[in-house]
Formats: sequence, C-alpha cells, structure tokens
Amino acid sequence: MLGFLLRRLGDVIPTFFGVTILVFLMIHLIPSDPIQMMAGERGVDPARYAELQKEFGFDKPLVVQYFNYLGGVLQGDLGKSFVTKRPVIEEFTTLFPATIELSVMGILFAIIIGLPLGVIAAINRGKWLDHLTMSLSLTGYSMPIFWWALLLIMFFSTTLGWTPVSGRLSVFYYIEPTTGFMLIDTLLSGEKGAFTSALSHLILPTIALGTIPMAVIARMTRSSMLEVLGEEYIRVARAKGLTPMRVIMVHALRNALIPVITVIGLQVGVLFAGAILTETIFSWPGIGKWIVEALNRRDYPTIQGGILMIAFVVMGVNLFVDLMYGVINPRIRHKR
Amino acid sequence: MALLEVKNLTVEFGSEDKPFRAVDSVSYSVDRGEVLGIVGESGSGKSVSSLAIMGLIDFPGRVTADSLTFDGQDLLKMPAKKRRAITGKDIAMIFQDPMSALNPCFTVEAQIMEALKVHEGGNKKQRRERTLDLLNQVGIPDPKSRMTAYPHQLSGGMSQRIVIAMAIACQPRLLIADEPTTALDVTIQAQIIDLLLKLQDDSDMGLLLITHDLALVSEAANRIQVMYAGQLFESGPADSIFAAPRHPYTQALLEALPERSTGNDRLSTIPGVVPGQYDRPKGCLLAPRCRYANDHCIQDRPEVTDFNGRDVRCFYPLNDQGQPTGQTTGQTAGETV
Amino acid sequence: MTSQNTPSTAPQNAVDDAMDTVGKPPSPFIETWNYFRKNRGAYVGLIVIAIILFVAAFATFIAPYDPILQDRTAFLKPPIWMEGADPRYILGTDAVGRDILSRLIHGAQLSVSIGVFVVIISMVTGIILGITAGYFRGWIEVGIMRLMDTMLALPSLIMAMAIVAILGPGLENAMLAIAIVQLPHYVRLSRASVVTELNKEYVIASQIAGAGHMRQMFINILPNCMAPLIVQGTLGISSAILDAAALGFLGLGAQPPLPEWGTMLAEAREFVGSAWWVITFPGLCILVTVLAFNLMGDGLRDALDPKMKR
Repeated sequence: MLGFLLRRLGDVIPTFFGVTILVFLMIHLIPSDPIQMMAGERGVDPARYAELQKEFGFDKPLVVQYFNYLGGVLQGDLGKSFVTKRPVIEEFTTLFPATIELSVMGILFAIIIGLPLGVIAAINRGKWLDHLTMSLSLTGYSMPIFWWALLLIMFFSTTLGWTPVSGRLSVFYYIEPTTGFMLIDTLLSGEKGAFTSALSHLILPTIALGTIPMAVIARMTRSSMLEVLGEEYIRVARAKGLTPMRVIMVHALRNALIPVITVIGLQVGVLFAGAILTETIFSWPGIGKWIVEALNRRDYPTIQGGILMIAFVVMGVNLFVDLMYGVINPRIRHKR
Repeated sequence: MALLEVKNLTVEFGSEDKPFRAVDSVSYSVDRGEVLGIVGESGSGKSVSSLAIMGLIDFPGRVTADSLTFDGQDLLKMPAKKRRAITGKDIAMIFQDPMSALNPCFTVEAQIMEALKVHEGGNKKQRRERTLDLLNQVGIPDPKSRMTAYPHQLSGGMSQRIVIAMAIACQPRLLIADEPTTALDVTIQAQIIDLLLKLQDDSDMGLLLITHDLALVSEAANRIQVMYAGQLFESGPADSIFAAPRHPYTQALLEALPERSTGNDRLSTIPGVVPGQYDRPKGCLLAPRCRYANDHCIQDRPEVTDFNGRDVRCFYPLNDQGQPTGQTTGQTAGETV
Repeated sequence: MTSQNTPSTAPQNAVDDAMDTVGKPPSPFIETWNYFRKNRGAYVGLIVIAIILFVAAFATFIAPYDPILQDRTAFLKPPIWMEGADPRYILGTDAVGRDILSRLIHGAQLSVSIGVFVVIISMVTGIILGITAGYFRGWIEVGIMRLMDTMLALPSLIMAMAIVAILGPGLENAMLAIAIVQLPHYVRLSRASVVTELNKEYVIASQIAGAGHMRQMFINILPNCMAPLIVQGTLGISSAILDAAALGFLGLGAQPPLPEWGTMLAEAREFVGSAWWVITFPGLCILVTVLAFNLMGDGLRDALDPKMKR
C-alpha cells in the first residue's frame, strides 16, 4: 500500500511541475505585451513601463522568472488581480466553497441517479428497460449543459415558478459567511426559511451540472456490472442459494464499483468544466464565473491562478480516488 | 428412489424458431452414496446440464424436462424461494476454476459464513467455529490465519479447498463437481479428487463428477455417462464401459488415453471438434468425426437404444472386439481410404 | 484398424463437408458493417449524420433566407404554429429579425466543419506524436507523454479557454484550442497500440527485411492501430462540436453575427423568460448532432472491438 502511494505520488509530481510551467508560459505566449495590455487604450509612458516591468519581474531571464513564479506558488502567492488588485489566492479561497457546494451536490445527484440506473439496465440487459435507461443516459451524455440549464430555467422557473432563477440565496436573507457553504451557513444562522431558500437555489444548478456525470456513471456502472455478472463467483454466489437481490447488491455491485469509482473520480474535471457554464448561467458566485469574468477582462494573473488551482484540485482529487481504490480493492491494498 | 432423477432434460439457447440445443434430452439419476461421472469434450453440454440442475441458466436459455426431481420434489415446478432453500444446502456445486470462483472483494471466512448464515442461521460465533471446522476438514494448513485471507492471497489448490469447504458447509446430499481439477497443477489434482471422494464417502453424499478426463472417472465413478454435443452417447457401469465401450466415440476417447496407448506409435486423437451452434451435422452428430460412419450415419440421427444392457446412441454399437455390429466392413468410410 | 495411427483423411473430408454450409468468412469491412448494422442506435446515428451532412453541404440552397439578413418588420416572431407568427418564418425570428431556420441550417455547416477540421488536425498531429513516442521510446517518449499527462490534468474546456485567452477569441482560435485539447487522447491511443504492435512477429520480420523507420511506423504499424483511433475520432467530432458551442456560448468562440449554434444561444440567453424558440432550437440542434456522432461512435466501437464479438 505504501509503495502504491509513493508510486502514485511519483506520477503526480512531474505533472505538478508540468502544470506550473504551462501556466507560467501562458502569459508569455500572449501575442501582445502584458503591460501594454494592462494599460489598455491609454498606453503607458516609457519610464512607468520600465518600472512596471521591474515590478512584475519581466526584465529577468525566463528561467529566473519561472523559478520566482514557482517559489511564489509554493508559498501560496499567485500574484494580484489586475482588476481588483487583491491577491488571487484570496479571491479563490473566498469563492471556492460556492463551487465545492455546487460540485458536491452535482456529483451526489449523479451518483444517486446514475448508479441505480446502471444497475437496473444491467440486470435487464437487452430488455426495453435497458434500452430506455441507456438511451436516456446517452442523451444526457451528449447534452450541451448550457442549453440544458436554460431549458430547466425556462420550465421550472419561468413557466412553473417553482425555483429561483439565479444566485445562491433569496435577497430577503443576509447570512454572514462562516464556512462559505450556504447550506451549512443558513443552518447555523438559525434564520427561518433561509436553508430552504439556499436549497431551492441549488436544485436547478445541481441537475444541470450533474447530468453529464450521471450519464457517464450510469453507462460505466452498466458495463461494469455486466462484466462482473458474467464472472464465476457470481454463479458460485447464486449456487449458494442467495436471493437475486443479495447476489446483485452485495457480490456483484461491490466488484462492479471498483472501475465506477475511478470514473467518478475522473468526473471532477468534467464538473469544473461544467461549473464554468453552470455558474455563468445561474449567476452562481463561484470560481467558474470568476474565471469567465477574468477572461473577459483579460485579467491574466487571475486566469493563471484560477487555472493552476483547478489543476491542483483535479490532481488532488484523482490522487484521493486512487487511494480510495486501494481501500475498496483488496488486490491493490496488498500489493507491494 | 434415486436422490436426483433427470428425465429428458433439454437446455436451449437462441431464438424460439431456430434454437441451439446445448443439452438434448438427457436422462440420468444419482443415488445417495453414488458417484456418477459425466464425461465429454468441451462443448458437449456436460456443464450446462449441471447448471440447469442448480437453476443457474439465465434468461435467454430455456430449460425443459419431463422431470427434474431431487428427493422426490420436482425442482422445475417448485417456487423460486423453495428452490433457493435447496440449492446451496441440499445440492451444492463446485466450479471449474477456483481462482475465479471466489469473490475477490471478500475474505475466505465471509464467503463460507455467508452460506451458513443463509441456510442454517445461528450466531456469528457458531458460524465462525463451523467455518474453522470446515477448513480443517478440507485440509487447509493453519486454518485460523487463512480465515481472514483474501482470495488473491491463496494458491489455486488452496482456493479449490476453500471452494469445496464452501460447498459442503451445509452438508449437502448431492454435490456437483464441474471439472474440479482442470485448472489445477497435476500434483494437486489427485489430492483434490481424494479429498472429494473422502468427503463423499464419509457423509454418504451423491457425487456428480463432471470431467473430460476419462482416467479420472475410471478411478472415481461407479457409473459413467458419456456426452457429446449435448446428447447422451453411452451410459453404464464404469468398469464395463472401460472393458468394452459400445459407442465408437467412447472407444476413441479410451484410445486417446496415454495409459491405454500401446507400443511406441503416436498417441491416437479424434480429429475435428465438437460441432457448435452453426455447424451441426444433419445425421449423427459424431458422423463427421467417426471412423465407422457411413451414408446412413450422415443422413439420419440415431436414437438411444439398449444394447447388451447399456444405453447407446449409435446405429452400429460395438461388440466386445470393438467392431461395429450390423454393418458390413466395406461400407465404413474409414476403410475406404 | 490401420487408419487409427495415421490420421485418416476421410473424417477430415467429412468435417469439411459439414462445414460447407457456413461459407467463407466475410471481408473485414463487410464483417464490421454487419455488426454495425445490427446496432439500431448506431444505424439511426448514421442516418442522422447523413442528413446533417446533406444540410450542411447544401446550406445555401436549402436555407430560405440569408442567415445574417435582418428583417426590421419581424423581431422575435414565434414559429408558424404559434399565435402571432409571421408565415414567412417557419421557426420564427430572433431579436434582430433574422430567420432562425436559415441560421440553424448554416449553423450545421459551421458545426460539421468545426468537428471535422478539429479531429483531422488533432488526429494527424496526435498520431505522429504518438507513433514517434511509441516507436523510438527513450527520452522522446518521456517528454511527449509527460506533456500529454500534464494537459490531461486540466479539464478540457478550461484548457481550451486558457488557449483562447492566449490567442484571442474567435472561431479559428477556438478550433485550434479544441484540437490541442483533444491531442492527448490520440497520442495516448496511438502510442499504446504501437507499443503492443512493435513486439509482434510481423514488425520484427519486416525490420529484418530492411524496412526503414518511416515504412515501419506508417505503413506497417499504423494500419493495425487504426480501429481504436477511428472510434476516438468519431467521438472526438461530437466533443469538438460540444466544446466549440460552449466556447461560443461563453463569447470565446465564433463571434456574432456568425450563425454558430452556441453563439446563437448566448445571444438568446436574455429571452429565457419570453421567447422559448430562440433558445430551444439551437440547443436541440447541438444535442441531436452530438448524440448522432456519439451513437455512431458507440456502434463503431462495438463493431470494431473484437472482445465484444459473439
């Protein structure tokens, strides 16, 4: 297990440096000069230009600049936003809980709906229920979620008036952020109705964000289940006289989950990409919306920092999933 | 009354109008304390017929039989719940590959105790003690430490002992062993067979031993049933089959045994393979591979007939000298070469 | 029994006779097509793709109007089966009076060309990189594969956004960005295939016969790795179309007034409460197109994957 952990870390470290190099080079690959860009239409006088160049360290050789940048990153310094002048890391940590809250809800939705769908499809292989669930999940998989979100708003918010259109909380409430997670904060505040309001704001973004992972999980669960159901130990379990329910839920699902867990881990990347679109549409104040705004304003330190942080989170979650994999799969746990 | 009575068991796969018969009207019976050997090449339907007895044939497959009775009760007519209460308790099965027969996610102890829990109940402590007993019984060294092992930590022979322990956990009256030694090292094979026979003898179980290994059944079985392409070809007491095979296929199988090869010639083989779904001959299923086959065999399919007290499916059963009866030598395809 | 020890030919003939009904094995292409055709979903996907390709190819002839022509007398007209519709515009008009149907038809042209070009660029580059990595091994392989791993650490849409941020928004840059983002998949697939093929007898035999590196890589090995690449390419078209639409929606892809489906949705966003048709139709087009390519990709995978056969 320890060897396994070290080996995985060994894979992650080069990727870590690779990501920092890519993100660092980003600003130098821009066709125009970043300082000119910041100055905008008005331009900048040569004296101030030299001053700024020194301030950002652009006068030094590229390699030196990179190591300065890397040093900063390792100490948690991602530079300052061109627009707000606040440290990028600070903005990130303020906004990140909103994205986590949405992503966690999204993946929970995906698992709660996707897993049973996959199991149902697998045990009804070739029958109409299988075709139905698989058609649905392929549709979900092909869904442009920015359109899906708009459809959901059109139907549930505008037509039926059941759910709010945007934001995290109704304007009637003001909750002092303590954890940053609205569901928890509203509960802590004790204010009546605030929690329900936070929850109702979450429903549509959750569905929009969770749809693609849900489809992926359903498809993976189905194929993994089908493979496991053909295994000899399933026959053995049935030959013991166990109920079909126990055979499927205990003997098959436990084994089928192993590849599904990996797929769930891989959905973290999908979730972040989806969060960018979902947050933009629902005006959800998370990092997705933040990055899109930074892109529109050409706020390069924010873009760089945001992308770097997302890459780190994705890598971290994938590492965590690999470790989980070891826990659930005894064959890996015992490998040295 | 026999413990297990199978009358005209048929298992079909594929579409209703063009079915593939994996098992074709097979009948046999096993008594308590008796060892019945079912012999055949791969694809002969011997495993499928045993799966049908266990009720493990799934949706696209169809199982029909005039009767399939265990201890007087028809397994095909009883409700699923009642049948589950019998499978795993009174009828147990051992599968071919022990390495894939154990669930990789659970410990040895959990998998044996599960069978006990379902059929015998009792508390966890009793079940654990019984599991330890069973591991001792199947000859596992240091059983205590093996209890919490995972399947991937066990060798093939060890796994098969665990599988056997799991099967005999509820003291079954009939044990079906489907190629129990095929996947094992030659040195382990004899140990496992000895273990099975000892367990069978101790508890007076009926044992259905399915194998492609004639030498193995010759030592172990009381009676033998030779199957080919889903059909019964010959059946009778073990020693008489070995003394005088009545079916050309049995004869060819016996000649292919290394123990039986005489002189320094090459070992005899049977050319070709068992016909599958798409290449079933029109006449006798063995005709393309039979050295005595003539036009009659290629055109028509023989039925099972009684020949000198043995069931044989052949137009020209062999006599004591191993020559086909009722056929003039000039007609045989083999001789025309 | 003399025939016993020397295998007699008679039973062999009998086997041949018995096998005669089965016939000769079909050619690989026909075999794949037969498997593919049995998959109803894939078949539907193929038909839909054929229709989309037709519409895209003849967009200028099929579309009733110029996609950027504005009719100042008909803003936000609903489809013709609704009340208050303008009979000239079957699917209604958008906020500046452009015919939605015509825009969708021209959008098909854009989306199909985005998908095809992205996959061609990405696949060709990816195959060259992947085969080079798998064939030469050593530091070339380490370098290429590490770069690909790094790229895979970033979610594809975010990576594409970053590239567009560098190059500047626009359709061409968005396509290039998506092509770069898809690169790792082709590189990994072709490298993995090359590594397995490389140890096979036919490659070694050809090497002994004096085949050069180029011949080995592209004439001997590449054709044997094509099956998974074809499947990935088909699925790549659908994700390219989807990503391009997403970038268009975020204002980073095709710029107005280009009738790209994602861009159309971005323009229509503000009418979410008032004009359902400006939102529904472009998205539906994206969904149907992406779904069709995914169906076909799935079908191809099943047909080409020998594990799934029988």
